[in-house]
Amino acid sequence: MTVAPPTMWEVRAISKAFPGVQALDQVSLSLTAGEIHALVGENGSGKSTLVKCLAGVHQADRGEIRLGGETITMPNPIAARQRGVATIYQELSLVPTLTVAENIFLGRFPTVMAHQIVDWGTMRRESVRTLRGLGIEIDPDAVVKSLSMAEQQLIEIAKAMSEDSSLLVMDEPTAALGISETRRLQELIRQLARQGKAILYISHRIDEVFQIADRISVLKDGRLAGSSPVRALSVDTVVTQMLGTAVAEHYPKQHHAQPSLCLEVEELSTDLGVREVSFSVHQGEVLGLGGMVGSGRTDIARALFGVDRPTAGVIRLNGRAVRFTSPEQAIAQGVALVPENRKADGLFMNFRGPENITVANLRALLYGPFLDLRREARTSREYFAKLSISPAGMDRTVQYLSGGNQQKLILARWLFSKARLLILDEPTQGVDIGARIEVYKIINELTALGIAILLISSDYPELLAMSDRVAIVHNKRVLQILPASQLTEYRLLELASRSSHPSEGRRHEI
Amino acid sequence: MRSRLPFLSRVPVMGPIISLVAVSIAVGLSTDRFMLLDNLNNVALQASIVAIVAVGSTLVILTGGIDLSPGSAIALLTMIMASLIKFEGMSAPAAIVLVLVISIVLGAVNGVLSSYGRIPSFIVTLATLGIYRGIAFLFNDGSPIFSVSSSLEPWFYGKLFGIALPFFYVLIIYAMAWGFLKYTPSGRRIYAIGGNESAARLSGINVNQTRLMAFVIAGLMAGIAAILMTARLNSGSPNYGVGTELQAIGAAVVGGASLAGGSGHVLGTLIGAAIIVVVQNGLNLNAVPTSWQNITLGAIILLAVFIDMWRADFGRLMGKVWSRRAGRKPASANTDGEDLDGDRAGRGR
Repeated sequence: MTVAPPTMWEVRAISKAFPGVQALDQVSLSLTAGEIHALVGENGSGKSTLVKCLAGVHQADRGEIRLGGETITMPNPIAARQRGVATIYQELSLVPTLTVAENIFLGRFPTVMAHQIVDWGTMRRESVRTLRGLGIEIDPDAVVKSLSMAEQQLIEIAKAMSEDSSLLVMDEPTAALGISETRRLQELIRQLARQGKAILYISHRIDEVFQIADRISVLKDGRLAGSSPVRALSVDTVVTQMLGTAVAEHYPKQHHAQPSLCLEVEELSTDLGVREVSFSVHQGEVLGLGGMVGSGRTDIARALFGVDRPTAGVIRLNGRAVRFTSPEQAIAQGVALVPENRKADGLFMNFRGPENITVANLRALLYGPFLDLRREARTSREYFAKLSISPAGMDRTVQYLSGGNQQKLILARWLFSKARLLILDEPTQGVDIGARIEVYKIINELTALGIAILLISSDYPELLAMSDRVAIVHNKRVLQILPASQLTEYRLLELASRSSHPSEGRRHEI
Repeated sequence: MRSRLPFLSRVPVMGPIISLVAVSIAVGLSTDRFMLLDNLNNVALQASIVAIVAVGSTLVILTGGIDLSPGSAIALLTMIMASLIKFEGMSAPAAIVLVLVISIVLGAVNGVLSSYGRIPSFIVTLATLGIYRGIAFLFNDGSPIFSVSSSLEPWFYGKLFGIALPFFYVLIIYAMAWGFLKYTPSGRRIYAIGGNESAARLSGINVNQTRLMAFVIAGLMAGIAAILMTARLNSGSPNYGVGTELQAIGAAVVGGASLAGGSGHVLGTLIGAAIIVVVQNGLNLNAVPTSWQNITLGAIILLAVFIDMWRADFGRLMGKVWSRRAGRKPASANTDGEDLDGDRAGRGR
C-alpha cells in the first residue's frame, strides 16, 4: 500500500441484544478496501452476531453501518448482497445433490429465451472461469456431495466471489480445511484484497490470523477489546484480550507415555484405501496423525473403530489381536471415536447433558433390567464438575451449549464408557481458545490415566504441541513417525505435502 | 429457551393437557349430551383402541420413522381372529395368542424392511398398508365375519371394580410403555437413534435392531387393538381400521411427539388420543357429517405439526411477551448467543 486507502465500510457503535444476552455493545470497526481485517473472540463474544448484522440477517438495535461515508440499511440478506456484502458462513450453504456449476449460480442461473430456459453453456463456461480465476481445480460438473469438505469450502468461496462484491465476510472459513488448503485459501484471500476488496476474516486459529491479517480486532463479551495493526500485536496480547486474563501456557502439554503398548497396527489395509499402515501407540501416549485433508487420517481412524473393514493386516489392542466389524464391538473393547463433525455425528441435540454422557455405556447404569436414573444424574454431575462443563447442560438439551461445552460432553461420554484408546478427530475445531485449553487439559488427564490417544488435527501447532510422536500420513500411507519435539510446523508441512493430491479427499459419512 | 416459561416447560405434556381441557369445554358447551356419563364412557371406550395403536405409532415416530400400516394390520388381524374362532373352532385365548404372534410378524416385516432393508419406513408401511388390507380381503371371500363367538365380548365389555376393562388395558400398556422409554436402555436407544442416527451408531448402538424393535412393538399394539375390536363388535372385517393410522399418528403428534424423531412422550400421546376422540365425539353429537370429521382430523394433525415445527419461535415469542409483562429481563436462558443464532440460521426444516 503506498497511499492510505479510503475507508469503505464502517460499523459505527453497533449494539444488538437478544433475550438474556447483550450480544454486541457499541462495537465500531473500519473495513478498508484492500485490507484483511481479522476478528477474533471466544464463542459467545458476538462475532457471529456482527457478521449477521453485516449480512443483513440481523438488524442492529442501535448504531449504523456506513458504506463510503453514507449510512445504509440492509433489512435482509438479499439487500446486503446487492450492497456488495458477500458472506461465507461456518455451515456450508451448498446443495449437495447439485453440481458445482449449479451451486455457484444457484438462484441466478443465466437464462436465454426470455428467462425461460437455463443457459447451461454460459453457466458452465462462467463456472470454469470463476474457478480457474481462483486457482481451484475442481470439475464444475462434479456433484457437490462427492467432494471433500475442503473442496466444498472452496466452492462456497467461488460462489460468493462470482458475485461482484466490495466486502467479503468469512466466518471461520478454514475450520474444516487442512493445512495446504488453508494456505491456498489464504493466498486466495490476499489476492482478493489486492483486487481492492475489504475482507473481514473470522477465525479461532490465532496463529493463522497472524499469518494473514493486516489488522486484528478482538471482541470480548460483545465489546471491542482492541483493534490494532497486526505488526503492533503479539499472540499473547491477543489471547489476553480475548480471555480478559493472561494465559500462562497456551499448550499445557504433559508427558504420560508408559512403556507398555496399547495399540499395535501392522500392515493394515482396507478396501477404502488405507495401504499397509503400521504404527503403535503406548498407554498414556498421544500419537498425532499429521497430513492433509484426504490423506487417509480419517480412514485409519474408521478402520480402527470398526466402520471400515480391514482387508489385510493385524490390529492388536493391549496385546490381543482384534477384528471389529462394527463400532459396537470396538466400543466394547474400549476404543472410542470423537468424530470431526460434532453436531452431525457426535451430539444428541434432543438429549440433556447426562443422557449425552451415558449413551455409549448404558449397561453401567443398569439396576436389574432398568436404568438407575439417580445414578445417572449423580455420575453426570461428577463429570460436569471434573471437566467444568456449564451446569446449564445438566437439565437442558445441549443444543444451546457452546462448542467447547459440547466437546467436553463427548469426552465425558468416553470417559464414562471406560475407553482405553481414544481417537480424537479434530477435537478443537470451532472451539474457542478458553475451551481449547480445557480440552488440552482433559487430554492430559486422560493420558495420566493411561489412556492412549490418537490425535487427528489440521491445526499443526496444536498437533505438534499436544502429541508425543507424530505419524506423517500421506496418500493413505504412514510415511514416517517422528517425536513431536523433532518437528517444526514447517517441516511437518513439507513432509505431509509432498506431491499432495487434494482431490483424494472424500466426504466421509460415518 | 425452556427455562423462560418454567411452569409450561417443566411438565412436558402441559400443552396437550391444556388443549384437551379446552377441547372438552368447547365440546361440552356445544352440546348437553357430551357430559353425560354414558357418553363419556363411550368416549373412553372409543379412545382406548386409538390410544393403544398410538403407543406403537409413538415409538416408531420417536425413532424418526412413521408407521402407516396399523389400520390395515388391524383389518387383517380381525379377519384372522374371526376365522380362527368361527371356522377353525379355536378357543378365544388360543386365538388371542396366535393373533398376537402374527401381529409381531406383521410389525417385524415393516421393521426389517425399513432397517436392514434400508427402505424409508414411509414407503415400506405405505406398501404394507395396501398389502395387509389386501390379504384381509382374501379371507372369507372378502366378506365380514359376523357373530364370531359369544365368549369374545367380555374381553371388551367386561368390568373390574365397576370400571370397563379397556381402561385397565390402556393403563397397563401406557405404564409399561412409559417405563420402557424412561427406564430401559432400549427405550433410551429409541430416543437416541431418533435424535441423531449417525451419533447413535458411533456410540455403539445397533440402529437396525433398535428400529426393528420399535416396529415389532407397533405391530403388537395393532394386534391388541385388533383383538379388542373383534371383541367389541363380535366380528371381523376387511374394512375395519380404515383411518386408524391417521388417528394414531394424530394422537402422537397432537401429544407433542416430533415427526423429526427423538422427542415426545407416551403420556402426551394418551392425551392426544383423548383429544382426537373428544373432537370426533363432539362432531358426532353435533351431527357433523363424516366428510367434515375427516377434514377436521386432518386439519388438527396439520396444526399440531405446524406448532411442532415452529415451537422454538413460539417459545421465543411467548418468552418475550412474558418477560415484558413481568417487567424484567427473562432469566438468562442462553449465554451462548452465537450458538443460538447459528441454530436459528441453520434450521432449514
